Amino acid sequence: MTQSHTKISQYPPGDFAIWIFIYAELLVFGIFFLSYAFARSQNVELFNESQLNLNRISGAINTLILITSSYFVVRAVAAIRENKSLLCARWLLAAIVLAGAFIGIKLFEFISIYSEGISLSTNTFYMFYLSMTFFHFMHVIMGMVILIAVMLKAKQGGYSNEDHTGVETGASYWHMVDLVWIILFPLVYVMR
Amino acid sequence: MNKTTTTKSNLRPCTWVWLTLMVLTLAVLTVGQMGLGGVTIVALLLVSTLVKTHIVADYFMGLKQGRLLWRMIIIVYLWIIVSMIGLAYWLGIS
Amino acid sequence: MQYQSQAVAKPYFIAAIGLFVGQIVFGAILGLQYVMGDFLFPEIPFNVARMVHTNLLIVWLLFGFMGAAYYMVPEETETELYSPKLALILFWVFLAAGVLTIIGYLAVPYATLAQITGNDLLPTMGREFLEQPTITKIGIVIVALGMLFNISMTVLKGRKTAIIMVLLLGLWGLAIFFLFSFYNPENLVLDKIFWWWVVHLWVEGVWELILGSILAFVLIKMTGVDREIIEKWLYVIIAMALISGIIGTGHHYFWIGTPEYWQWWGSIFSAIEPIPFFMMVIFAFNMVNKRKRDHPNKAAMLWAMGTPVMAFLGAGVWGFMHTLAPVNYYTHGTQITAAHGHMAFYGAYVMIVLAIISYAMPLLRGRAAGNSKKAQIVEMWSFWLMTVSMVFITLFLTGAGILQVWLQRINENPMGFMEVQDKIAIFYWMREVAGVIFLIGLIVYVTSFFIGGDEEEASS
Repeated sequence: MTQSHTKISQYPPGDFAIWIFIYAELLVFGIFFLSYAFARSQNVELFNESQLNLNRISGAINTLILITSSYFVVRAVAAIRENKSLLCARWLLAAIVLAGAFIGIKLFEFISIYSEGISLSTNTFYMFYLSMTFFHFMHVIMGMVILIAVMLKAKQGGYSNEDHTGVETGASYWHMVDLVWIILFPLVYVMR
Repeated sequence: MNKTTTTKSNLRPCTWVWLTLMVLTLAVLTVGQMGLGGVTIVALLLVSTLVKTHIVADYFMGLKQGRLLWRMIIIVYLWIIVSMIGLAYWLGIS
Repeated sequence: MQYQSQAVAKPYFIAAIGLFVGQIVFGAILGLQYVMGDFLFPEIPFNVARMVHTNLLIVWLLFGFMGAAYYMVPEETETELYSPKLALILFWVFLAAGVLTIIGYLAVPYATLAQITGNDLLPTMGREFLEQPTITKIGIVIVALGMLFNISMTVLKGRKTAIIMVLLLGLWGLAIFFLFSFYNPENLVLDKIFWWWVVHLWVEGVWELILGSILAFVLIKMTGVDREIIEKWLYVIIAMALISGIIGTGHHYFWIGTPEYWQWWGSIFSAIEPIPFFMMVIFAFNMVNKRKRDHPNKAAMLWAMGTPVMAFLGAGVWGFMHTLAPVNYYTHGTQITAAHGHMAFYGAYVMIVLAIISYAMPLLRGRAAGNSKKAQIVEMWSFWLMTVSMVFITLFLTGAGILQVWLQRINENPMGFMEVQDKIAIFYWMREVAGVIFLIGLIVYVTSFFIGGDEEEASS
């Protein structure tokens, strides 16, 4: 590990592998976004009409939640850099609670859409809306799992200001989940 | 490696980033609630998306420190995605 | 060879190469039948030759994977195999089942074979690649479960490395997904959906785990790069392979009666299927650049380097070429698919098995590190003969496919299937020539095992 220690300033925060993974994930979401945009250009009216049916308020609340959760993770990383393990764990817990709130609101959205009898086969707009938000939903769950693992280790004092790559790795992944939603929300819920 | 000296100065811009993101999101919601659309609005929304994702990458993800290559990958990605979305919307109008 | 029980890998590897020769002989027959339809008729009709060609491929690759597992597991877990005897018994069971099945294909008409083997009791036959009689399928399951038991017990008592866990996951997945070959619903759409659970989730899912772990093992051994670095790469690669590969199954669901959203899901997720292969290329070349020693077995190194490159081309590039629904609308089931299939199977799975054989066989035969220089040069010749001729097979089939798509599907006055086959015969002839060169390359490969001489000294 001595090698990676001297090189740490050259890489972004976190493990080298997570960045490869983040870039690959961004590529997948990117393909989704562009497919949506170009599919829409073939069928503007349908997309505009269906878009009105979405719950923009809950989408916006979820955006605020994810942004804030991301900010809490920033605080957690700052805390561990000052060697405050418990504080780090507490910020992470706050971020995880918000992630749980996101999941709850999103489920509510899915259920209300489902109860309207809308499915993947209803039309192309809903196909994209459901696929993209569900794919992102799975990433939120994955991110939560990572954050919980990091929090538990932080609680036991598993990180220090010297060695906290694990915290940064989890943080970077969580910011990616946030970043993707920041594009997804205006694109699918608002832009017309 | 001692990072404590830089922590405080790193945190303040992040707080500003958080507040900016919140405000911009509320602005996006307002646009949505008013049912606005069209070239100008789409352009504004895209610019705000670009700004938001930029500052998340630079400050939250901390890409501003470290080697330029890693930052450039995300920046180029964001510009391509946002401009292609813009192109697709423009195609939808004409 | 550090552990006695690794020796059980040897018969598996030998059987794999033997069946490989059979596969290529039938490939050459088959290639000729494309242009001379009655060649060897009625002894070996086209459909039988095709069945033998594809089934032998699968069986010998399985022999290769099993051999690789029996070789790798003791060394990685740092303990002797749980039961070398069980491994040998399973070898003979599998070989007998495989050979008897092939003889069955050749000796009696397929319908008779189905009748003899009691297909009525549990009908599973008659589907592409899963043509094996039901009893053979049961045999495969028994052999696979026996091997998994043997290997899992070994892993449980020994060191658990990431490479072995990935290999184990891949092999368990292989066995579990094969169980869907016993599910044969009346509904044709459902039948196809679950048929792909075997076929696709094998080659674009769990087999990639096996490929990744074998490649990682060979690279650790040959380059001496830290395990930690190699394992990190392995994790990222398999994560991407599974994310893209599992939902990427959708690219087979385009025109078979499934809902339309599969066209989007299949297109989007399979568009990223080349990424794990691309990562493998970067991974392999990176590790070689960081190498801490120059391994004397140059031939094995060549196979290990060739694998990711050819896999990326065959599976990644040639796969992507026709994976998007709007493209696949025209190319579905044409020679484009055949081109992709040939290079993908060769690049990904044939080459990785040959890589582990090339690495392990000299050690299994009691040599310190590698074969004599003379033997290695011959083996490297076979590498280039087979690889280059496979590139040409792929290119000629691609040419045939493009012309076929044009004449048969895009053209304003589309021609009938057989009419088009006549028009593209020239490509089939050229493919057959390339195929014969491949066979020559394979003969050269086999010859390399019988060349003696002084062993290369290990240099570090």
